[in-house]
Amino acid sequence: MNILEAKQIHKSYGNKFNKQEVLKGINMFIEQGEFVSIMGASGSGKTTLLNVLSSIDHVSQGSIFVEGKEITQMRDKELALFRQKNLGFIFQDYNLLDTLTVKENILLPLSITKTPKKEADQKFTEVANELGIAELQHKYPNEISGGQKQRTSAARAFIHDPSLIFADEPTGALDSKAASDLLNKLSQLNQKRKSTIVMVTHDPVAASYCSRVIFLRDGQIYTQLNRGSETRQAFFQDIMKTQGVLGGVQDDH
Amino acid sequence: MTINQLILRSFKKNIKNYYLYVFALVFSVSLYFAFVTLQYDPAMDAAKGSIKGGASIRAASVLLVGIVTVFLVYANMIFIKRRSKEIGLFHLIGMTKRKIFRILGMENALLYFLSLGIGIFVGFSFSKLIMMILLKITGVNAVTTLHFSSQAFIQTVLVFTLIFLLILGLNALFIRKQTILSLFRVTSSAEQKVQKLSVWEMFMGIAGISLIAFGYFVSTKLFSGDITEMNELFIAMVVILASVILGTYFFYKGSVSFIFNLIRKKKDGYLTIKEVLSLSSIMFRMKSNSFLLTIVTTVSALAIGLLSLSYISYYSAEKSAEDSVIKDFAFTSQEDAQTFKEALKSEDLPYEETVIDVVMVRANLESIIQTGEVMDVDLSKMELPVVSEKSVPGVDVSPTETLFTGYSDMLSKFMSLEDSGKIEFHSTTGSIPLDYIGLRDEFIVSWYFTNGGQPVAIVDDSLFTTLQQNFDPEVQRESSVFIGIDMKKEETIQQANKLYLDLGLDDNYMNDSQLQMSTDQKLIMGLSMFIVGFLGLTFLITSGCILYFKQMDESEDEKSNYTILRKLGFTQGDLTKGIGLKQVFNFGIPLIIGLSHSYFAVQSGWFFFGAELWTPMLLVMILYTGLYSIFGFLSVLNYKKVIRNAL
Repeated sequence: MNILEAKQIHKSYGNKFNKQEVLKGINMFIEQGEFVSIMGASGSGKTTLLNVLSSIDHVSQGSIFVEGKEITQMRDKELALFRQKNLGFIFQDYNLLDTLTVKENILLPLSITKTPKKEADQKFTEVANELGIAELQHKYPNEISGGQKQRTSAARAFIHDPSLIFADEPTGALDSKAASDLLNKLSQLNQKRKSTIVMVTHDPVAASYCSRVIFLRDGQIYTQLNRGSETRQAFFQDIMKTQGVLGGVQDDH
Repeated sequence: MTINQLILRSFKKNIKNYYLYVFALVFSVSLYFAFVTLQYDPAMDAAKGSIKGGASIRAASVLLVGIVTVFLVYANMIFIKRRSKEIGLFHLIGMTKRKIFRILGMENALLYFLSLGIGIFVGFSFSKLIMMILLKITGVNAVTTLHFSSQAFIQTVLVFTLIFLLILGLNALFIRKQTILSLFRVTSSAEQKVQKLSVWEMFMGIAGISLIAFGYFVSTKLFSGDITEMNELFIAMVVILASVILGTYFFYKGSVSFIFNLIRKKKDGYLTIKEVLSLSSIMFRMKSNSFLLTIVTTVSALAIGLLSLSYISYYSAEKSAEDSVIKDFAFTSQEDAQTFKEALKSEDLPYEETVIDVVMVRANLESIIQTGEVMDVDLSKMELPVVSEKSVPGVDVSPTETLFTGYSDMLSKFMSLEDSGKIEFHSTTGSIPLDYIGLRDEFIVSWYFTNGGQPVAIVDDSLFTTLQQNFDPEVQRESSVFIGIDMKKEETIQQANKLYLDLGLDDNYMNDSQLQMSTDQKLIMGLSMFIVGFLGLTFLITSGCILYFKQMDESEDEKSNYTILRKLGFTQGDLTKGIGLKQVFNFGIPLIIGLSHSYFAVQSGWFFFGAELWTPMLLVMILYTGLYSIFGFLSVLNYKKVIRNAL
């Protein structure tokens, strides 16, 4: 089943006279339970794509369906409602509120939907144990390491069992150990909870943890790679090769 | 782009942000200008005549300059910190510090002197209005004319230019001290690290509340008769001030976060959006602003307290004139009374005369009065006015009893009367023991006999006659008769008062006109109320502005939080509600503490100022709260804008 479908999405910035087209007609779909990553060089439109898919930004043209509902037609308030129920976010710079403790940060999405406290506590224990941050719950963000912060951020994304989780360069600010830790946790959660994860990254190692990689180039989908039954190592090699072909700069002949 | 264009550009951009700064500046300039104009205004002579109007207005204007300077320096500090990134960028591209200073200085000068100009213009146009308000309050009849005082103009420009130079100096110092890196970092370093509550803070939190409570407790004891020595009284006052101010500081430093932390602990991590935005943010912010908040609170308390007290005295002017003059007109000499009555008759003004014989006696009141050494009086030999029961309709006392009447609130605080007891009158023929049976509220003879508040003893007529015969010449007043004249028609009082003044009866200090007394009172109280009122307003506006700027700053700092929360799916409405609550705390806590400080301050000593506490105090408090809330609303509007732009 397709959880997300994007049809011919265009996105441009600027006004009539000075238009910068960032997304040039993207068609894509994501199935339930997939762990997809979107790769591309800087300026290829990765983050813009993630922003429009996650309803944070509006498309200029085209439509996006999440679980069969068209989000491109929704008004701001409906979108907020939609986000709180269906989406989870992990960001490169963690985006934790530094005045809240780890537990308070993680429980935020549940407080929007006014989940009963007992249920919330139960969910917290579950997700915090899975991510190994249960003992940090009373600490403030500036008292814990980057990897722990990112796991807190991940816990916040998973706690309300959203149908889709968006991760924007989640490993961008982490050292390699913390990064592989986090990616392992993410793929575990992906399998265990059957949650769908869409991740933007330019790190081939991070992308190799996924089941599918979409390559963007200049606002269009360049190609896709499916991991299938390959090992992570082999998949990593494939990604490297594709990236080599993709290159950073277009040849002018 | 030339430097000048750069200056103009950033000026245009900033003026939108600083409208409140401009407003506060314009307001203070215009108020100062109006005050200084009043000082030089010939119409002020009328108000100056009886009291030192000019001097008090000059003192007020000095205070005004003080408040405004502090405000401007503080506001400037916030602004320059906000722009430190911009300064860093200029620096980075190779501009010299001198050039940066020139850009900022020019921009500042443009904003400042434009406001100054507007302020003077507004002040000029309003000086007549202000003058009219002053004359109305003080009850002086004089014609006001609109005239531009060049003296006032020069003084205003001079004073505000000096303030501007001070600000420029501070800016230069700021720019000089900074390196490129520190300029880029200034906002993040200003924000303190979020930390767990330490034991020390917990201690401070508890200490803060207890210190305030202790100060309040001592203040209720201040004039209740428990503290009787002058020295003790002084020490108690210092203790109150110190413990309340220190307590306020600790309250912001510790108590707020301590209490909020307790609430959060209870929630066990599960916070609603309102709590996220209000509790958790304020908890950490109040701590770092505690010094500023303490000042704001203390001076608001001072402003509210002074306003209440001056309004109490103004409000009670009529009542206290009534208590001390009793009738519309009071005389103590038959001759003067006769002159006045004849004048009334010839003008055909109907009146009613009350004649009360009064005899002064020495009395031993030791057994019914509680007093300490504050009042330096010998209770066994108190001078007491005595009247016959016949002079007081509806009162009948037996020959061995006496009833007191008319005791001022102020005196009763120091010397409280028992409900009953035994007293003694000393007369030339020996002492007369009497049963004291109670106290009535009514005042029956003028202040001339009662020293402005002592009670009058009512005795049986036969005893009164005895006392009259055996009077003690040492304690008698020049006159021993009170002649009260009441006008039958209220509308003729004005006219009668004019006669009273024309006849020169006013020159004898023993004669009194209630209307004249209340007018005189109002003149004195009115001027002080006027000055305190405008100073209070200035303080209100400047402190409101400072809190607003602080919030503006905070909203920029917290913008990223709003972005996160909106991405998580909170609607703008959710966030605005949370911010509303936050502002209720942010503005409400200093306000409520200021109000309660001033309540206890006024409560402890209001009876020195007048006869009515609640109505004037509540009016002042409500007005203050209303005006103050405007700044809270403005800051919520600003937050709304920030939240809208956050995603």
